[in-house]
Amino acid sequence: MTLLADKDKRFKNLFGRAAIFLVLAVSGIALTFVMAGVKKGIFTAKSSIYFVAESGQDLSEGMPVKLSGFKIGTVKNLSLDEVGRVQVEAGIEQKYLPLIKEDSVARLIKGGVIGGDVILEISRGSEGKRALAPGGTIRFERTGGVEDVALELRDRLLPIFGDLQQLLNDPQGDLRQTLKNLREFSAEMRVTRERLDALLEHADVAVTGEAVPMLHSLRQSASQLEQSLPVLVYKADSTLDNLKQTSETIRSVAEQSAPQVPGLIGKTRDIVDGVSTSWPVKNMMPLPESGPVKMDSHD
Amino acid sequence: MTKRFLSIMALAMMAACGSPPPRLPFALERAQTVDQDARRALRMGDAKNARILFSQSLTLHQSVDDVDGAASALISLATVSHQMHDDEVAIRLLDQILLDRAGIYPPEWRATAAFRKAVILADTGRTDEASSVLSSADTLCERDCPLRSGIDVLKARLALLKGDAAAALELAQSVASAQGTGKEERANALRIVAAAEEKLIRLEEASLHYRAALELDKSLALSGRIEEDLNGMARVSAHLGRAEEAAGYARRAIVVHDAARKNAPATIPAAP
Repeated sequence: MTLLADKDKRFKNLFGRAAIFLVLAVSGIALTFVMAGVKKGIFTAKSSIYFVAESGQDLSEGMPVKLSGFKIGTVKNLSLDEVGRVQVEAGIEQKYLPLIKEDSVARLIKGGVIGGDVILEISRGSEGKRALAPGGTIRFERTGGVEDVALELRDRLLPIFGDLQQLLNDPQGDLRQTLKNLREFSAEMRVTRERLDALLEHADVAVTGEAVPMLHSLRQSASQLEQSLPVLVYKADSTLDNLKQTSETIRSVAEQSAPQVPGLIGKTRDIVDGVSTSWPVKNMMPLPESGPVKMDSHD
Repeated sequence: MTKRFLSIMALAMMAACGSPPPRLPFALERAQTVDQDARRALRMGDAKNARILFSQSLTLHQSVDDVDGAASALISLATVSHQMHDDEVAIRLLDQILLDRAGIYPPEWRATAAFRKAVILADTGRTDEASSVLSSADTLCERDCPLRSGIDVLKARLALLKGDAAAALELAQSVASAQGTGKEERANALRIVAAAEEKLIRLEEASLHYRAALELDKSLALSGRIEEDLNGMARVSAHLGRAEEAAGYARRAIVVHDAARKNAPATIPAAP
């Protein structure tokens, strides 16, 4: 008995067509996986390098490792050693390995104000040093976030501006004393010039022809000095005033922005809390601990 | 039409899932934030700051009559004080729960406080007082109380401290083989089993049990206990006449001790 389908032209070579369709579909899916793998760097040859961190905070397997802002590999493995330090293995694409030197440093940098942006950046190291061999070990450092830097900058700048202002305002200070001496010197120069004028007027005819031009030249120099000194004193005065104003401006800006720093951190915290308790981020966050701090029978 | 309706419904559901949970009253939210900050400080090894923050958390919980929060903060504060070797302060803090005549704190908090006080007393060598406090914890701890295995291990430890190695071995073995015992207490039980066997001159078994405790302690990354296990293994190996092996374990214990000391918390501040 022949099937009805055999007589219908549309069913001619049905198995062949289905096979071609299946082969094309499977090939397409395989190609998509291969392309995704290529994009993710799965097929790129990698070498492992190692570093040791005191704590595994902010480090995670799969996090990108960057050099000069370019992704050059990923963190492959994190493990605790016998003394509780974290051994970190990073898989680096082999073509980038020569760029890492023996004195390169892996730094964990906190990116933006909103806490999540953590980057593992490897520095290039010194030109003279040898390239790191596969399986080599480099140093690890942790750097603070924007808030830490802002607070540290504020803590360091404020005392400096305070000292500067004290230095500028202190009447017994070196700067004020120097200016005072300069003014006195200028006044004394005026007197010296007047004396020279008088001396030239009463110069005895017996004075030799050589002495008179010398005295004239001396008078000219004194006159030039007398003209220049007030300008110099004025310039020094205005420079000091500018310096004082700048110091006061910076100090007031620092003081005005200082109270805003905790607020900014508080707002950032609110945003981070809001995001971390919302779907789908909350599923990626560790559960907050509750109850008293752990203690067992041997603590 | 139906498609559009379904899309809108799906979007609405996703938005509902995406919204954060409703916020707690400000004082409670602040107390919880301070509490989490304290835990973070403690994880980073900054016990001094953790103690200050737990003290703030305690005041905040007490200010809104949150008994559970206050009890948790008090016990945490005592635990941190003990970690900083400020044991008298730790005991005084726990006594605030244990000697409470007004009946503010429910039995589970009293049991926790009693257990921790017994641990502190055992650590300071006051074994008789520890036994007495531990028996009150035992009474307060009901059948499915989470402190059960800890209480039993502490009983074994106290027996060992009093020189009764056979009793210690029996008690610790039952905890080590019990279902549902946590990793920490299983490791503690195995260490006591090993120490008791060492006293009873059952050295091969002691070596095996120290090794098992070491594996568990390594998985928990507890330096002090890894050091104890290694020292135990060194002692047992020396008794067995394996001098080279003993020296190797002793060297490893020294490395762990030195490295752990470098990460130790800072000096002890004044009591809050």
